[in-house]
Amino acid sequence: MKKVFKSIALAATMTLSAGVALNANANTATLDKLLEQVKKDRISEGKINKKREQEFMAARADKQALLKKAKSELAAEQARGERLKNQFAQNEVTLAKKATELENAKGTLGEMFGVVRRAATDTMGSISGSIISAQYPGRDDLLVKLAEAKELPTTKELEELWIALQTEMTESAKVVSFDTEVVGLDGETSVQRVTRVGNFNLMNDTNYLIYNIDTKQVQPLGREADGHYLAAIENFTSSASGEMAPLFIDPSMGNLLRLNTQKATLEDRYHAGGIVGYIITGVLALGLLIALERLITLSLMGSKMRSQLKNTANPSDNNPLGRILKVYHNNKNADVENLELKLDEAILKEIPKVERGVTVIKILAAIAPLLGLLGTVVGMIETFQQITLFGTGDPRIMAGSISMALVTTAQGLIAALPLIFVHSIVAAKSKSIMHILDEQSAGIIASHAEKEQA
Amino acid sequence: MLFLIEIWESVRDFIATGGDVLYIVAAVLLIMWVMMIEKYWFITGVFPGIKKDIIAKWDAREDTTSWYAHKIREFWISEASEKINERMLSIKTLVAICPLVGLLGTVTGMIQVFEIMANQGTGNPRLMAEGISMATIPTMAGMVAALSGVFFSTRLEAKAKLAKEHLVDSLPHH
Repeated sequence: MKKVFKSIALAATMTLSAGVALNANANTATLDKLLEQVKKDRISEGKINKKREQEFMAARADKQALLKKAKSELAAEQARGERLKNQFAQNEVTLAKKATELENAKGTLGEMFGVVRRAATDTMGSISGSIISAQYPGRDDLLVKLAEAKELPTTKELEELWIALQTEMTESAKVVSFDTEVVGLDGETSVQRVTRVGNFNLMNDTNYLIYNIDTKQVQPLGREADGHYLAAIENFTSSASGEMAPLFIDPSMGNLLRLNTQKATLEDRYHAGGIVGYIITGVLALGLLIALERLITLSLMGSKMRSQLKNTANPSDNNPLGRILKVYHNNKNADVENLELKLDEAILKEIPKVERGVTVIKILAAIAPLLGLLGTVVGMIETFQQITLFGTGDPRIMAGSISMALVTTAQGLIAALPLIFVHSIVAAKSKSIMHILDEQSAGIIASHAEKEQA
Repeated sequence: MLFLIEIWESVRDFIATGGDVLYIVAAVLLIMWVMMIEKYWFITGVFPGIKKDIIAKWDAREDTTSWYAHKIREFWISEASEKINERMLSIKTLVAICPLVGLLGTVTGMIQVFEIMANQGTGNPRLMAEGISMATIPTMAGMVAALSGVFFSTRLEAKAKLAKEHLVDSLPHH
C-alpha cells in the first residue's frame, strides 16, 4: 500500500515542475496588469478614507453634546443627594426627639408593662396546671398572648388578666360539682358529674380523677387509690349539702395521687416473686394443711385418751391407749415379762400414727427459706444479665430486679415463720401423746391391776 | 405521768423508723416472756406442792419393789416431768424465731430501698435512708429479743431438769 502512495507522489512532482517551466513567459504580462490595477485602486481608497474622516468629524460634535448633557445630569443628581442626606439627618433628630417625647409620655406605664408580662407568665404556669381549668377551659390562651406580646397591653387585656387571677383565687375556695368530659383508661369519653375540691382534688362519685395538663383532659388515675380513701369519697358525695363529711385531700394538687399509682401494692410485690414465689406459697399452704390435719387428729386423739384414762376398766378401740389397755385385758394371766413384750409391741404399732406428718412440716419449714434464697440467686442472675446488656448506667433497671430478688427471700421467711411455729405446737402435742403411750401406759395398767387385786 | 408519755413517744418513734416488722418482734417477745414467766412461776411456786403430793403418795405405798411399783413410779415421774416441760418447746421455738423475724425486717427494708431506687434513682440518699433504717433496726431488735430469750430459756431448761431429778431422787425403793 505504502509503495503505491510513494509512486503517485513522485509522478505528481514531475508533472508540476514541467508546468512551471512552460508558463514563464505568459506571467510577465499579467504582472503589469496587476500593477495598473493597484495604482487605480489607490485613488479610490483615498476617496473612501476622506469620506469616512468627514463622517467621524460630524459624529464627534454630536458626542460632545451628549457628554455635556450627561455631566449636567450628574451634577443635578448630586445636588439632590445632598439635599436628601440633609433631610435624613434632620428626620433622625426629629425621630429621637419624638422617642424621648414618647418615653416621657409613657412614664410609669413602661414599668407596668413589665409587671403585666411577668404576672402573665407566672399565672400561666399555675393556671394551665390547675384543675380549675377542667371546669373553665381555655383560660390560658389570653395569658400566653400577654406573656409573648411586644406592644403595650390594652385595658381590656389587663382586665382579663385581673379576672383570670381573681377567678383562680375565688374558685380555689369552692367545692363545686359540674358536668365534664372524662376520658377513661380505655380511651372512651363520657360526660360525668365531677366534684372539684378547691384546686386540690377532682373526683367523680367513686374515684379520684386527675387533670392532664398536656392533653387538657380529665382522666381517672392509672390505679385506684386504697379502699379507705375511696370510701371517704362515697361518704362525701352522698352527704347532703351543708353537712360535714371527712375527705382525704391531696395537698400537692394531684402529685401524691400520681405517685401513689407508681407505688407497688402488696399484690404486685407478691407477683414479683415469680415462679419461685408461687412454689413457696405452695410449700406454705401444704405445710399449713398438714399441720391443721395433724392438730385436729392429735387433739381428738388426746381427748379420747383422757376420757379413756378415767375409765381404764372398759378399753375402747377408737384410741391408742384403749388398744394398749386391750392388750393387757387379753393377757391378764400372762407373766410380767411376756406382758411387757406384748405392751411394747402394741406401743410400737401406735407410734407411726402419732408421729406421722410432724417431720414433713419441719422439712417444709426448712425448705421455704432455701427456696427464697434460690429466688434471690435467680433474681441476681437476671440483674447481672441486664448489666451485661445495658451496663450499669441506669441504677433503676438494676434496682427493679434486685427488689424482685429480695421479694422471694421475704416470702421464704414469711412462709418459714408460721411453719416453724406450727411445727413446735404439733411436735409438742405428739410428744405428749407419745409420753402417755411410752412411759405412762405401763403405769396405768399397773395401777389398774393393783386396784383389781385389792 | 409525763415520764410515761415520753417513754411512749420514744417507743413510737422507734417503731416509726423501724417499720411494721417491729410489731411482730414485739409480739413474739411478749409471748415468749409471758410463757417464760409462767414457767418460772410453775417450777418455783406450783411444782413443789405437786412434788410433795407424789412423795407422800409414794411413801404411803407398801410395795415399792415389784414390777407394778416400778411402772407406777415411772408413770408418776413421767406425768410430773410432762407438766414441767409443757410449752418448753414453744419457748425455744420463739427464741429461734426472733432473729428470723429481724431478718424479715431487713429484707423488707432492702426491698423498700431498691424500690425507691427503681422509682427515683440514686439521686436522693435521704429517701433511701428510710428504707435502710427499716432494714437495720428490726435486725437489731430481733437479735436483742433472741439474746434476752436465749439466756433465760437455757436457765429455765436447767431448772426444769433439776426439778425432775430432785423428784426422781425423792422416790426411793424402800
